[in-house]
Amino acid sequence: MKKSLLLLVLVLCVFLSFSAFGKTKLIFAVHWSDYQVEGVKDENGNIVAKGLRQYVEEYQKLNPDVEIEIQSVPFDDYLKRILISHTSGVIADIYVLYSLWGVQLVDSGILDQVPKDIADKVKANFAKVAVDGATIDKAIWGIPVEVANYALVYNKKLLQEAGFNEPPKTWDELVAMAPKLTKRNPDGTVAQYGFAFLSGWDSAVVHPFLALLHSNGGKPFKDDFSESLLTSKEAVEALEAELKLFKNGATDPAASVWGFPSGKVAMMIMAPWYESALKLGFKDQYEQTVGVAPIPYLKKPATAGYTWFIAVDSASKNKKAAWDFIRWMTLENAGGFTRMGELMAKNIGSIPPSKSDLAFFKNELNDLYTSVFVKELDNTYQEPNVAQGQEIKTILMREIIEAWNGRKSAEKALSDAKKEIDKILAEFYK
Amino acid sequence: MRGVFTLTHSSKKRKSLEKNTGAGYLFLAPALVFYSLFFIYPVIFSFVVSTKRWNMLVPLSRARNVGFSEYSYLLKDQMFLGILGNTLLYALATVSSTIVIALILAALINNAKLSVLWRFIYFTPVVTPQVAIGTIWGYLYRPNNGLFNSILKIFGIKPVYWLTDANVALISIIITAVWAGIGGSMLIITAGLKNIPQDYYDAAKIDGAGPFRQFFYITVPLLSPTLLFLTATGFIGAWQVFDLPFTMGRNAPARSVMTVSWYVYETAFQSLRMGRASAGAFLLFCVIFGFTLIILWLFRRGGIKGYE
Repeated sequence: MKKSLLLLVLVLCVFLSFSAFGKTKLIFAVHWSDYQVEGVKDENGNIVAKGLRQYVEEYQKLNPDVEIEIQSVPFDDYLKRILISHTSGVIADIYVLYSLWGVQLVDSGILDQVPKDIADKVKANFAKVAVDGATIDKAIWGIPVEVANYALVYNKKLLQEAGFNEPPKTWDELVAMAPKLTKRNPDGTVAQYGFAFLSGWDSAVVHPFLALLHSNGGKPFKDDFSESLLTSKEAVEALEAELKLFKNGATDPAASVWGFPSGKVAMMIMAPWYESALKLGFKDQYEQTVGVAPIPYLKKPATAGYTWFIAVDSASKNKKAAWDFIRWMTLENAGGFTRMGELMAKNIGSIPPSKSDLAFFKNELNDLYTSVFVKELDNTYQEPNVAQGQEIKTILMREIIEAWNGRKSAEKALSDAKKEIDKILAEFYK
Repeated sequence: MRGVFTLTHSSKKRKSLEKNTGAGYLFLAPALVFYSLFFIYPVIFSFVVSTKRWNMLVPLSRARNVGFSEYSYLLKDQMFLGILGNTLLYALATVSSTIVIALILAALINNAKLSVLWRFIYFTPVVTPQVAIGTIWGYLYRPNNGLFNSILKIFGIKPVYWLTDANVALISIIITAVWAGIGGSMLIITAGLKNIPQDYYDAAKIDGAGPFRQFFYITVPLLSPTLLFLTATGFIGAWQVFDLPFTMGRNAPARSVMTVSWYVYETAFQSLRMGRASAGAFLLFCVIFGFTLIILWLFRRGGIKGYE
């Protein structure tokens, strides 16, 4: 009896291990949070909005020979995860990547070339700004899954209290309105900011500047990236436009966009993913309080944007299986929409870059918050895919903050940034 | 005869020593292997990396050799030199202030009632994570309703932008670091105080020495080995500081509060310049090594050898 039981266990073990070995295993690394991976559930544990895991399980049922492991890494550690995994040799097969990192990953041979059929579909079926985000040296390196841009988010109630029924349309109007929305305590500290930037985060510093730069008819680099154009008249004027808000007392370096949900900030420049935080902050007052409008322009409407795209590691042993899953998830018609588009629109709250998804999820994307961002996609300039993008962004952030703090003039700050950035560009483009 | 005996004896001793050498190395092996694996190898690896242009995405063997150019870049870079200056100021201010305040507090509470309770209270920050300390002090430093500005307001003093004003931010972080470090130093000094015989104080009292004279002529000189230990370890720790400036100084102009470790982290994992980051780390290692030697030399000149 004991012998036969032992034999049975042994046979089971062998069977299980063989069945596991027989499967193609894919590791899918994402930077998404728990509910975005596991799905949004109600109090009874029922899925209200599907997360990545539900899609993966669906795919595994359709393809029993494929096993997909989701590895969720916080955004701050995501690039480190890629670096360390390549040093240690334990890589993920599929990544969702921030477009700014793309050049370095491509130059280092980390990304697998996109199959032609996929590249063609991306070019034909996705919003231009997202295609730009996934394009490096004229080649598509992944499928855009999320596109984000910026708009002016304002507190309707605070504006109305100050006698403004409409948000500002031009930057000059904003500069005139913001001090009237600023309230000070008797000791001189600011109780309510007319406008808030955010000092400690590179995107929050650099992206609004890029939006104003494009709005002023400028651009950050020459097309061949041989030189930055930060000392151009357009760039200096763009930073000076920001500094007007510091000089007229509408804001200061201590201001923070995170103060908006507590009603201490009247206006800010923000991205679409902040919607849920605003809903949580304002609760039932959300619709009466939050307003969104295009970023007030200098010469023409413009905003800055960035893209996340899904790509396969060139060192993956299962590239075909990885691309098959990506095709199913991001391109295959699931009833007028793609599964990734559904995940973005219904769960993550981001703008799906596929044209079919933009058309299909009108209800989800047409709310008071996201609709403006969707409309602004046409005016969105993708953050440039430049070598050492993160380093360049950090340098630019530091110099802009120097100017915000009054330690440098706009011209001096941008000239210092240009000197450092041009050195980097010379390393990679000459 | 004596000579023969000595010769035979010393040759026997040598043979016995030779016989035991292997065993000696065997006993040393675990420590040597550990030390080589976790200290010597990383230091050599880091040095090799510092001579390469490497982004961690390609194998190190494929990285371009750049010699010592990253070192010369850093030593000419105004930003890095400014960051070295920030770190030097942080190290000097925190170590000196922490030791002086801890010494005074330890002397005051050494024989006080409820000294154990006082020690516990002062030691609490030491067991609190630096990130938590940074976050809590961030609230105290808030310009609008922070504790410090509320106190200043009572005295009619204008509010200070503690963590965003470039001229004040580093000082604010230093104040927090001193507060967080006092407890640990105080505990070590208290242990040192317990080792000073009471007889010296009794004799001094008979000779008419007051508390101040006793403090400066008995306590401080006899605590010198302890103070040497605190100074040396304090500087080593302070030069490597990362958590507090990184947590508290992110909204300040970075050049005003950035420390070398923060720079190394950012250069490595954001700019993906492992070579430059390793060169920065190596320069930091040299500075710490040099500083520690200077401290030991200064104390030794003063006749203190307690840390050898």
